[in-house]
Amino acid sequence: MGLDYKLVLWNKHKKNYDKLIALGMVLYLIVFFVLSLVTNAEMTAETIIIRAFGSLAIILLHLILVIGPLTRLNPNYLPILYNRRHLGVSMFLAALIHGVFSTINFHTLGSKNPIESIFTSNMDYGSLTNFPFQVLGFLALLILFVMASTSHDFFLKNLSPKIWKRLHMLVYLAYSLIVLHVFLGAFQQETSPFAIGVLCLGFVLITGLHLTAAFKEGKIDSFKASKDSDGWLEVCTTGEIEESRAKIFTVEGERIAVFKNEGKLSAIHNVCKHQGGPLGEGKIVDGCITCPWHGYQYLPHNGQSPPPFTEKVKTYQLKVVNGFVYVNPNAYEEGTEVTPISC
Amino acid sequence: MKKNDEFYIGYVDEVGTETKTTLKRFVLYSLITLVVVGFLFSFFQETAVNSSFDFNEPTKVSGIYHETPYPMLRVQLADDIYKDILLLGFGKFGPNQYLNAIKSENGSLVNKALTIEGQLIYYNGQTLLEIDDSQKITLSGSVNRNEIKKPSSIGQIELEGEIVDPKCYFGVMKPGFGKIHRSCAALCISGGIPPVLVATNEQETDDYFLLTNLKGEPIHQDILPFIGQPAKLLGELSELGDWKVLKIDVDRIEKLGKASSIY
Repeated sequence: MGLDYKLVLWNKHKKNYDKLIALGMVLYLIVFFVLSLVTNAEMTAETIIIRAFGSLAIILLHLILVIGPLTRLNPNYLPILYNRRHLGVSMFLAALIHGVFSTINFHTLGSKNPIESIFTSNMDYGSLTNFPFQVLGFLALLILFVMASTSHDFFLKNLSPKIWKRLHMLVYLAYSLIVLHVFLGAFQQETSPFAIGVLCLGFVLITGLHLTAAFKEGKIDSFKASKDSDGWLEVCTTGEIEESRAKIFTVEGERIAVFKNEGKLSAIHNVCKHQGGPLGEGKIVDGCITCPWHGYQYLPHNGQSPPPFTEKVKTYQLKVVNGFVYVNPNAYEEGTEVTPISC
Repeated sequence: MKKNDEFYIGYVDEVGTETKTTLKRFVLYSLITLVVVGFLFSFFQETAVNSSFDFNEPTKVSGIYHETPYPMLRVQLADDIYKDILLLGFGKFGPNQYLNAIKSENGSLVNKALTIEGQLIYYNGQTLLEIDDSQKITLSGSVNRNEIKKPSSIGQIELEGEIVDPKCYFGVMKPGFGKIHRSCAALCISGGIPPVLVATNEQETDDYFLLTNLKGEPIHQDILPFIGQPAKLLGELSELGDWKVLKIDVDRIEKLGKASSIY
């Protein structure tokens, strides 16, 4: 959490994270360059650069896309999510090098504007095998540019987390465009089953992990609470919630998190104001509900971030009857004080 | 610390034991994946052909200039042995912008001796020369006594093949073929680089045909929809040193609907 905007709020974990990103990228590029030069000596340097950075960007994109579902399935992966934006920007830079070199190589020094050339040099839009696949890569790069350039918390705050999140969900559109870009382009001439197999395996991995995570969360959303005569919803027993942790329930279409802190229960809206992280998968640390994604904190009894921070989430009223926890589905305004109830 | 008590906060130095183990495993698997995928992507690439482009190594070539209809330089290699070098411009352009500068001062260059400093491109017996500056073209002033005549017709011929841009195909880009080059080829030909038909003959080797319209004039824009499309072409064939020239009616090019073997 930070009160003012700095380019990067460095800490030990972020530094280690970035070192590992750099190590992985350098390792990949060394392997690609050395093997290309040794086994394909006739190939020109710009071709190797285009291919090395393009394929590196795709692998990094796969890595980025598996992080989300992995953390939903196993919280031990959360540190990888913590600095995912740096991985995203690194991936964009690799994609940018690929895109710039490709555009220079294939579309500059000609009779057309290079961007116009990307769209009009091959007009076989009606054909699948001859489709101008470079257009797909260009559009994907535009999306990645918008995402990378708005990745800082300054834009998150000013665009609003909701719009920012929607904008960054475009990564799935970019992924689809990139897969089509590769299959309708590079794989039309580079037909190694190993290369094609890697991308197919990647698609299966990403899809499989997302479906598994969605299935897990679907269980929460499909939860049907019974209502008492006052319209309160019975969600669980007091013993089902561990100390300093929460259980998440979907009530009237909204996910809420019921936390237990020093034997008392409090309920808040499950969505963190920072990036929409699942607060109910967090923990109470130093008396504050702490978001598992980036450590944003809220007080259990009023849903407010401790001063000087200003984030607020909705709060809910609870009651315990015969060991059963009931939630009033009508939320209070964000930051409204609700006295925690004893179990 | 109980298993489920572990909780990672990015700005707190301490990390739980189980989280650390998971992270180390993830990092190790990720690095191994990067190396393995890097190996698979690079090792199994199609081998590039052994064409040559003398990039940044200019050569001075002297010969007799002619246009049939594309600008060429006929270079004498030995007694009665000549090589016709196809002239190209810098980037994705033909050579006319440089030649026109000389022509404006000296009139027609046909059958005159020129020395051109440029970058050679060669592959499969064909040689091309990239010109990047009109200052690198010098006119010796002498006129060729054995005038280079327009090639005479051998007859009508029907060929199946694919139309390429000779600059990338013969060596500037390696590989200079494959679908990735389709749009680049269109840009090259629309910029004034002559279209060349690549047709495989009975000996399973490739023949190269410079394409012109029925009047023997250059064609560029009209041929663009046919680049890299396997097609059947009917035309009047003539031979010009190392090159064959095919006069065609673009409207009668028949697309074969097959997948391209070049692009």
